Amino acid sequence: MMLRLLKLALRNVLRSRARSLLTMGAIGFGVLMTLVLGAFIAGLGNAIIDNVVKGKVGAIQVHRKGYDDVRENQPLDLDLPADAPWLAEIAALPGVTGVAPRLVFSGILSNGSQSGNFVGVGVDPRHDARALPARRQGLAGQHIGDDPGATAVAVMGKQLADALDAKVARSGVAGGEGATLSLQAATAEGQQNAMDVELIGSVDADTPFDSKRLVYVPLAFAQELLSMPGRITEVVVAVEDRGQVDAIAAQIAARLGTDYEVRTWDQLRPNVADLVRVQRMVLGAIGVVFLVIAVIGVVNTMLMSVMERTREIGTMMAVGVRRSRITLLFLAEGLALSLIGGGVGALLALALVSAVASAGGLQVTPPGGTSLFALIPVVPLWLYAPTLALTLLGTLLAAAGPAWRASRLRPVEALRAL
Amino acid sequence: MTALETTHAPNPTGTAAAKAAAPAPLLAARGLRKAFELGGRSIEVLHGVDLDIYSGDRIAIVGRSGSGKSTLLHLLGALDVPTAGTVRWLGEDLQGKSDEETAAFRNKMIGFVFQFHHLLPELTALDNVLMPALIARQPRKVAQERAAWLLEMVGLAHRLGHHPGELSGGEQQRVALARALVMAPRAVLADEPTGNLDAATADEIHALIHRLHQETGAAFVVVSHSKELSGRMDRVLEMRDGRLLTPGTTQNDTTPTDGAAPTAEVVA
Repeated sequence: MMLRLLKLALRNVLRSRARSLLTMGAIGFGVLMTLVLGAFIAGLGNAIIDNVVKGKVGAIQVHRKGYDDVRENQPLDLDLPADAPWLAEIAALPGVTGVAPRLVFSGILSNGSQSGNFVGVGVDPRHDARALPARRQGLAGQHIGDDPGATAVAVMGKQLADALDAKVARSGVAGGEGATLSLQAATAEGQQNAMDVELIGSVDADTPFDSKRLVYVPLAFAQELLSMPGRITEVVVAVEDRGQVDAIAAQIAARLGTDYEVRTWDQLRPNVADLVRVQRMVLGAIGVVFLVIAVIGVVNTMLMSVMERTREIGTMMAVGVRRSRITLLFLAEGLALSLIGGGVGALLALALVSAVASAGGLQVTPPGGTSLFALIPVVPLWLYAPTLALTLLGTLLAAAGPAWRASRLRPVEALRAL
Repeated sequence: MTALETTHAPNPTGTAAAKAAAPAPLLAARGLRKAFELGGRSIEVLHGVDLDIYSGDRIAIVGRSGSGKSTLLHLLGALDVPTAGTVRWLGEDLQGKSDEETAAFRNKMIGFVFQFHHLLPELTALDNVLMPALIARQPRKVAQERAAWLLEMVGLAHRLGHHPGELSGGEQQRVALARALVMAPRAVLADEPTGNLDAATADEIHALIHRLHQETGAAFVVVSHSKELSGRMDRVLEMRDGRLLTPGTTQNDTTPTDGAAPTAEVVA
């Protein structure tokens, strides 16, 4: 009986083809838009997170205990040996793709006539590129480690370089007539020290801190400037799969014990995690709006359907169809509309997103930045179930009113309807 | 099983014999009233009708349009609920039934034929006839055989796979008659079954109704304008202004009608 009911409902759907198509179109469009928008928002979220995780802070960072509370001061006394045996152990953990030691400090940068504050990061040329594969995002020139022989070189934020009127070396390598700048910093013992570097690259970054304050130098150079040979303050850990970050962080924390702090990217850059969360909420709200539009369409279609079929309802009652069956018949019609419309919308979304993704995504400019990056939409499978479930539920609710109305008719008045 | 089998024996000798064998009526209406709300006012179209219908009866209800014939028929078949009064089926009050029981009653006990055939346009003739049997959860194969046989009986053996839109008015009404009989009901209620047909086709349908009555033994109650049809029925009940001019029952508990002379009542 249930199968026959669905067949009959499907016939009804096919009968007013234009109206059914329009309704299924509205449902399909809502599902399509929600899923495609979701794919781009998920892609954007991925790009934003990747930019941070693969280009700036890594997936996980390890410091000495207490560093996090005073990290704004770039303390040098909470340091650790660059050859600590556990570095190799972390690198050997499954899922870890890179471990990069760093020495973070602060000082004053000068071109001879102008000067400014900076935050310096001494990076290990051998490990940094592997741990931060996206560190070239927005880079003009070369990065630390591109020329292993270059020791007194620097890469800095574009705005900082512009403010000091500092030109990047023409070929991007040392000796290429890049601006010479003087880095002055207090050593671990508190004495002031200054050393010259040549500017080989500048980064057009999307945050003021990265663009106006940050200076990268080779780790050995930083250790010399600060009189801290063989010492570092920070370890950046890269992982293969972002979903494993928390598990790997827990493993590292368990290995290192209480003398160290292990922080994940979302703890290091909580604003990024928040941004992605807000984007998802906005997506949810937009999805609900599309759903409401589709549901209104369904209400209208079902009301029309009931009106048009009033005589048939009367006939069915006259030959002994129960009221509950009449309700079910119209619910089934709504269900059919929603299944077909939603299914087609979901498939189209999958096809469209796959096509854009395989074409390399969209080239977009991030807010506040000037460089292009590829926005690759990802099919958010986690979005499919709730979108389709809500669509189905909404459609059934929309059909329930008219269906109930149909079943309440007295047979004789239903038969008389024109 | 393809025989037109009903739960009671055919009744060739007419109502009198039926009454003697089974004195309890199939359908008994008492004090039946029906009012409709129209623009905030209540308009009564049936003013208290008493009527007994016995197994195998062949009754015509005649009268001008608006006299309440169709309303009476709808109340008898539980397609509508009376404002006052009762309809009993074999002594059981129809108003006391649940929705499910009412649906089962319409499905199994009564066959309906309407002026406008009221066939489902998306179904073939065979499937239309089949539908009540499927609703009653009869095995499809058995139901299909019976439906095909009924369609053959009404002269549509060659039209099984046609949709209502492909059939003439007379053919549509034949399908409707076959559908009314598919559950072997004890009563068939027909509301102006030939009101929408030309004279020649109407005559054919009338002949068919008489033949079906003979072969099935079901009671036929036909609301009709047609003198030709009513002239051949066992009882003719005339309605005027919501009342039966002819006594509808043999008991003495009927309220007298408004004194108009009874029209021809043919009792065999």
